[in-house]
Amino acid sequence: MLIRKLLAALQGVVLAGLLAGQASAGPVNTGHLEAELVAQDAAAVPGSTIYVALRQKIQPGWHTYWRNPGDAGDATKIVWTLPTGWTAGDIVWPTPEKSRVGPLLDYAYTGEVLLPVPITVPADAKVGSTVTLKAAAAFLVCEQICVPEDAVVTLDLPIVAGAPGPDAKWGAVVAKTLADAPKSAGLKAVFKLDGKVLKLALTGGPLKSADMAGAYFYPYSGKVIDHAAEQTIERGPEGLTLGLTPGYDFTSGTPPTELAGVVALSGQAYEVTATAGDPPAGAAGLGAPAVAAKTGGTSLAAALLFAFVGGLILNLMPCVFPVLSMKAASLAGHAHDPGKTRLQGLAFLVGVVATFLALAGLLIAVRAGGAAVGWGFQLQSPVVVASLALVMLLVALNMSGVFEFGTSVQGVGSSVSARGGVTGAFFTGALAVVVAAPCTAPFMAGALGFALTQPPLISLAVFLALALGFAAPFVLLAFAPALLRRLPRPGAWMDTLKKGLAFPMYGTAAWLLWVFTQQAGSIALGELLAAAVLVGFAGWLWGHAQTLRSKGKPSLLSLILALLALAGAIALTALTASATPPTTVATASVDAAPAGERLASEPWSPERVAALQAEGRPILVDFTAAWCVTCQVNEKVAMSGAGVAKVFKDKNAVLLRADWTNRDATIAAALAEHGRAGVPLYLVYPAKGGAPVILPQLLTEGMVVEAIEKAAS
Amino acid sequence: MSVTRRLVAAGLPLIAVAAPTLVHAAPAPAFTAKDIDGKVRSLSDFRGKTVVLEWVNEGCPYVKKHYSGNMQGLQQAATADGVVWLTIASSAPGKQGYFPDGAAAKSWMSAKGAKPTTLLLDPEGVVATAYKAKTTPHMFVIDRGGAIVYEGAIDDIPSNKVADLSKAKNLVAAALADVKAGRKVAVAYSQPYGCAVKYKDA
Repeated sequence: MLIRKLLAALQGVVLAGLLAGQASAGPVNTGHLEAELVAQDAAAVPGSTIYVALRQKIQPGWHTYWRNPGDAGDATKIVWTLPTGWTAGDIVWPTPEKSRVGPLLDYAYTGEVLLPVPITVPADAKVGSTVTLKAAAAFLVCEQICVPEDAVVTLDLPIVAGAPGPDAKWGAVVAKTLADAPKSAGLKAVFKLDGKVLKLALTGGPLKSADMAGAYFYPYSGKVIDHAAEQTIERGPEGLTLGLTPGYDFTSGTPPTELAGVVALSGQAYEVTATAGDPPAGAAGLGAPAVAAKTGGTSLAAALLFAFVGGLILNLMPCVFPVLSMKAASLAGHAHDPGKTRLQGLAFLVGVVATFLALAGLLIAVRAGGAAVGWGFQLQSPVVVASLALVMLLVALNMSGVFEFGTSVQGVGSSVSARGGVTGAFFTGALAVVVAAPCTAPFMAGALGFALTQPPLISLAVFLALALGFAAPFVLLAFAPALLRRLPRPGAWMDTLKKGLAFPMYGTAAWLLWVFTQQAGSIALGELLAAAVLVGFAGWLWGHAQTLRSKGKPSLLSLILALLALAGAIALTALTASATPPTTVATASVDAAPAGERLASEPWSPERVAALQAEGRPILVDFTAAWCVTCQVNEKVAMSGAGVAKVFKDKNAVLLRADWTNRDATIAAALAEHGRAGVPLYLVYPAKGGAPVILPQLLTEGMVVEAIEKAAS
Repeated sequence: MSVTRRLVAAGLPLIAVAAPTLVHAAPAPAFTAKDIDGKVRSLSDFRGKTVVLEWVNEGCPYVKKHYSGNMQGLQQAATADGVVWLTIASSAPGKQGYFPDGAAAKSWMSAKGAKPTTLLLDPEGVVATAYKAKTTPHMFVIDRGGAIVYEGAIDDIPSNKVADLSKAKNLVAAALADVKAGRKVAVAYSQPYGCAVKYKDA
């Protein structure tokens, strides 16, 4: 009697379930999540495949893991117990979330997640019967702590002949999970290890118009990339290229032949299996995707302002000031003719802006090509440095009166200022920018760092602000006759001043020679010095020819000789291009440094920083370059005193030097990490570990001492 | 002192080149930490010996799985062989697996019968950061020349089930056997599995 009642009740339950169009099961609470089996369809059809999902409703704050859990954790596992003839496939893993835990990154699920599994129903499944699918699920649920939990969940599934229709409660959810799951969309995927960057290039139809902000590669293997490292995104007309940090397999193990995983874009995810090869052209070249300006970072307005002020300050740099002050003095000669001075001012402005934007465009293009360069990159090429040194020498010789600029064979005796100088003003602007670019003034580093992490248009806007700031004083002068009239009248004193101001230019040339030696070694220096002598000779011959012409004497021979000497100088400079940088110089000089009062430094590397931090020592990292004036000044003023040496000794601190004189991708990456595009950058790592403190770009000895003391406490 | 260090540092790559077993090995970062007796220990104290580093968090289910006897057995066998076994607790204060003092760590060790050379207290996570320790357990084998010759999981079955122990190949035991025999370590890396190291900023 009782049994019959129970059976009737049971029938009622089953019937109710069927009427509701729902495969029946029940959730199991395992402690930190609720697990159950849910089906896409209300019933199974013989000979078909039905998706049954393990649903996890995870407690807020807790998470379970993707198939590759990332740095820690463990993926959910399901062991099925199915009726004879039924088989279960692999879990269709939804795209996970990135879960950052301190320095680690895990790939996880939070909230509610469905893990669908395709179940094949045998053709001989008996219509009208109900089968029970049983899954033993084991999962690791973590919050701050991890708890392994298990659940045995079942699902009763009726077998029907016709189309069953979706499960009333879960059908749509399972369908959506499957629709959103990463798809193999036939994307072409190629990977290539490029120095310390593992490039993953993806091209194909679905990527052409996709929003690539936030694109991310989730690898199936936990050994191929450094999970926690940022992935860089580079757009292309046909797809995108992700810059990954190679993991163990690429750095020390056997490089894999395949790189498989999921590429997630906003709203869509694709399964990819990349093979080794050269990235296709269409996968890069359009820069990083536009992202909303980072909160807490430099805002666009602030970056523009800093760039403008930085541009103003550049006017005072020793390599720029002589050129501009002479130009300004020459303007004074036209104070009576406002039209003419305005024209010159405008020409100068155009020259400055055009050159700045051209340099910025070049920089953006080079970076888009994947090269790790930053501002000042133009001085990382020894040939450019050599050329600039010779240009400086020519300018200096000109100011010394050895010869006149702009004096062609046709126009003997006329000087730049006398000629009206619109072209002259334009080229003065261009020259000023070229020589000023390495003197990245304080205020500018932040703005430029910001600029280079932004889409090209915003980058260009920042550079435009810099150009406007740089040109402002001269243009203001040109447009304000009242100001101009206050300048002393031109006269013989101007010639004296000009000859005096030639010496900062000689100094700049000498400095560039020194930079060049750091880059190219002493043999190349010999070649460049010979070129410099030839330039001097050419300048003198040219001046001689000018004198002869002004006296109405033939000057052709002198001119030809001058041109020959100049050609020789250019040939010698080109020769230095083949010079190899003396890589050992820096370290050798470090080792040779006496351990006395002078502050010794070690070459920087991220590993060295980690090792020293592990030893509990305070660290000052000096990101520098021979061509960076601010860096040299800081090293002399703030780091070579006895006070600094003492505090380093007392606090057992270490000075690490990252020398960016030549191109170096690791240093460029470290600069970018701190939002900078160029040197100087000073980081002080506390002895107790943790994130470094960034010091200002203009240092005093007191600041360094205080920073080290703070880092040691 | 610093000159000596430089000389040693300069000499290290030479050793690495001379010994064919160390082709891919990375130098083990130096570290200093207090042990359960308050004694300051440095990796350099053990130069010339094979060293095992084991990251631990007594509350982690994966650690508990291996402390069902597997880890203690390995520690005993290794230390009997002259290997220095350093168990490192890097859980930050307030986090799971944090030992407030050496006594707390000692009482856990004696309850479990753990037999490492010693246990190092690293609540600031300095040693863990230097080694980029990710999980508990996360194992390192450092050879006599100070190079990391094995890094990763303790065995090849990532699970928290004691039942899997008998089926798994213990990768640390295999690495130690290779080092002892003067062979190149066959499996020099595996993805570590377990709970995340409880760093202080996590």
